[in-house]
Amino acid sequence: MTSAPPSVPSRASAYASLRRALLRPEWGLVLAVAAVVVLTGLLDDRHNYWYNPGDSAINVLRQTSMLGIFSLGAAIVIISGGIDLSSGSVIAFSGSICATLMVLMAPEEMKAARLLGLGTISTAIVGTLVVGLLIGSLHAWLITVVGLPPFVATLATLVGLRSLGRAIVENVTAATWGGRSTQIQIYDSRFRYLATSVWIPAVLFVVLAGLAWLLLSRTVIGRHLHALGGNEQAARLSGIQTDRLKWLAYCISAVLSSIAGILYIGDQSAAHPQTLGQGYELNAIAAAVVGGCSLRGGVGTIPGTVLGVLFLRTVIDGVAKVIKTGADVYEGLIVGSVVVVAVAFTQFRQAGGRGKRFLSGPLGIATAINLSLLAGVLAALLAPKTFLGEGMLALITGGVTLLVLIVLRWIEGRRTGNARTAPLPSDKLRSA
Amino acid sequence: MPSPVPLIAFQHVTKRFPGVVALEDISFDIHAGELHAIVGENGAGKSTLMKILSGVITDYEGQWSLRGQAVRFQGTRDAEKAGISIIHQELNLVEELSAAANIFLGREKRTALGLLDDRAMERAAGKLLVELECHIHPWQLVQELRVGDQQLVEIAKALSLETEILIMDEPTSALTEAEAARLFRVIARLRARGVTILYISHKMGEVFRLADRISVLRDGRRVQTLPREATNARQITHLMVGREMEAVHLGNQRQSGAVVLEVRNLSLPWTGHARRWRLRDVNFQLRRGEILGIAGLMGAGRTEILECLFGANLEPLHGEILLEGHSVRFTHPVEAMRAGIVLVTEDRKRLGVFADMTVGDNITICDLAEAAVAGLVSRRSERRLADDMVLKMGVKTAGIHASITSLSGGNQQKAIIGRWLLTRPKVLLLDDPTRGIDVGAKAEVYRIMDRLCRDGMGIIVTSSELPELLILCDRILVLCEGRLTAEFARHEASEQRIMEAATLGQT
Repeated sequence: MTSAPPSVPSRASAYASLRRALLRPEWGLVLAVAAVVVLTGLLDDRHNYWYNPGDSAINVLRQTSMLGIFSLGAAIVIISGGIDLSSGSVIAFSGSICATLMVLMAPEEMKAARLLGLGTISTAIVGTLVVGLLIGSLHAWLITVVGLPPFVATLATLVGLRSLGRAIVENVTAATWGGRSTQIQIYDSRFRYLATSVWIPAVLFVVLAGLAWLLLSRTVIGRHLHALGGNEQAARLSGIQTDRLKWLAYCISAVLSSIAGILYIGDQSAAHPQTLGQGYELNAIAAAVVGGCSLRGGVGTIPGTVLGVLFLRTVIDGVAKVIKTGADVYEGLIVGSVVVVAVAFTQFRQAGGRGKRFLSGPLGIATAINLSLLAGVLAALLAPKTFLGEGMLALITGGVTLLVLIVLRWIEGRRTGNARTAPLPSDKLRSA
Repeated sequence: MPSPVPLIAFQHVTKRFPGVVALEDISFDIHAGELHAIVGENGAGKSTLMKILSGVITDYEGQWSLRGQAVRFQGTRDAEKAGISIIHQELNLVEELSAAANIFLGREKRTALGLLDDRAMERAAGKLLVELECHIHPWQLVQELRVGDQQLVEIAKALSLETEILIMDEPTSALTEAEAARLFRVIARLRARGVTILYISHKMGEVFRLADRISVLRDGRRVQTLPREATNARQITHLMVGREMEAVHLGNQRQSGAVVLEVRNLSLPWTGHARRWRLRDVNFQLRRGEILGIAGLMGAGRTEILECLFGANLEPLHGEILLEGHSVRFTHPVEAMRAGIVLVTEDRKRLGVFADMTVGDNITICDLAEAAVAGLVSRRSERRLADDMVLKMGVKTAGIHASITSLSGGNQQKAIIGRWLLTRPKVLLLDDPTRGIDVGAKAEVYRIMDRLCRDGMGIIVTSSELPELLILCDRILVLCEGRLTAEFARHEASEQRIMEAATLGQT
């Protein structure tokens, strides 16, 4: 089918480029972040965002910078058509390596909580970054030479590196200090200042994001990374050295995770490989996906990813402000929900979700039960102490939800006529 | 014989896609038991109309009736129930399953216990296949079958559905002569059973051999429906393109120069295959300012030769390739590209286009370094490169910032050829460059090739359409099962002679 509008090639005018800039999907995330901030300000009964904006801003900034640094790497790998599942373990491993290097170079100072030499600190940091490069190269070798799928290669290091980090920490502490320990305490205030200062991680994040943006949107390599992710075979047949690009992408990801690892051990004043960065790889991938990166590859931007991280952290912070206690317990639930909603929203905007029936058929019934149960459980968990017991509250909330969903299902069912006119996949491609 | 109530009657069917009217006010009848050919250029609306018939497209304006009753399918299942099946150009089989499993996919026979009854299915499938002269075992995996046999599996599936109306979309495009002849016999047998056939094709020979009536679509409108006896190929072609096909004389008075590329004893192994060699002892030369054609059936090794020259072969090759007298051995396309050999790939969608990118990005992707200073791409010089190439190649686009997928196949192809011209190659390899593009765009691609050739480029082109090679090429090589079986100069070549050489040793 031909569908080219019959028009002559025209030079892009300033107006057209402005229009393109205004139509960028990132604006949706900007609005979403703003909406979350306003909502949190309203719903939080202490109104922290109004009375004490500084503290909240610093907290969100710190969290955003730490998560953001390695999310950039996740985004670059995803845009190039791969996936890096290892970042959480790389954070733990490189944090452990950094601490181990410091122990090896200055065992007495580390043990006695004295200040370390600047040379020791910088050598440990450089060594850690080199380890990051090596991990990235290992991924690239497993993927491009051995031929493993990226999922498998980075799954292996996800599992393997954390345990290797633990073994190294235990053996080094045993060998240097005589006592086997699962973690290394870090007392040096100058090293810890790297993370606790907040401005250093923030500036680092901004600079790294800027570099990543420059790389992806302004350089030949960046264009080739997009091409590789969009169509690997075509990229190879266009004379693009796809294997080298993959090497670069996985190295960037691993090094950024190593930087994050250094910051995290400073932040926590300890390198504890068993728990450090546990599950962070999924947060990074989630941030990239919320920011518009497609797991199919080829699609995604750095500004989008940065906004994705910011959105994720503001939602988490917002919920923490609103429900006060035990907010970190719900972090995973929040991330999961945000990913589903954000990606579904993007897809419907592109493909038109109107006329789609979400609750039809037997799966619709199962879904209605699912959502009602979820609502009931959440009500019981989060309810303020009231005259009703938790059980009663859960029952009522779940029941009401179920009722609403049944009504929705009925309304959807009556719209059969509309469902027919929902565009077909082939039409969507055309309109895109 | 026209019956009083037509089997299918289209009444003012219109289908709009965003920005395009694919079908406009289509009204005509199809009689029971006839073979009705539907012809038209790419983009004329043939496929869209067939998608409406087979329930793939469900939202359209106007209506159509089946056996006098207005119908509106909600999906392909409705069409199947009504006895309408479609054999797509790109076959719709699960390659990892057996022929029998494919034939009964979604309607599996089961034993009393509810388990799959493979024996019953294979028996039934075997009966259908024998009926179709398809000598394969029903338990053979589809991926092991030749394209012609795969197609018969699809037809067997249609028969098992008790299809009364069979739509065939360019069924012979991938078949050898023998397979096509078998298909025509099968079609005759289906007609004897009373099956009505809608036959989409652009090959006039077939259409005039098979059809009772011919409907011509152009730009989404039905131009005319004619009984076969009342028309001829020339008139139909004229109706299709809306103008007489001028006899193109592109190759006249081209002067070829020195040898730019020479291939000596080129062989390419085929690990784990009965034939052992994808290519065997291929020798030829290409001169500057010459268009060399490579003809051959599917699987003869046309694409493989070009891949070897471009360093894109997946297994190491034997033999020698000389570029301007120097022996070269490429391990990656980038080396070929730097040396001055470039390849426009056959499967545009899978191997050529970056669908997520704009027209401009698709054009500059190979030569981006040219527009970059210290690694940073200058938007301005990139835009200039892309704009220039869009003008030079006559790519019809809303601008270089339009999505490449918004372009027609022909314009995508021109953009991709432009992509490679930016690298200023000495040798241009074109693998079936006009596949799936309309007649107008084909002529433009021919003219572009002629111009490049006159500027001194050496061009190798393959094609699945012989007339195209006869128009374009100074010389034509013919491949059969990986070996060169003939070489014809322009004045010696004819379709007949090429076909003979391409099917040597085949029945």
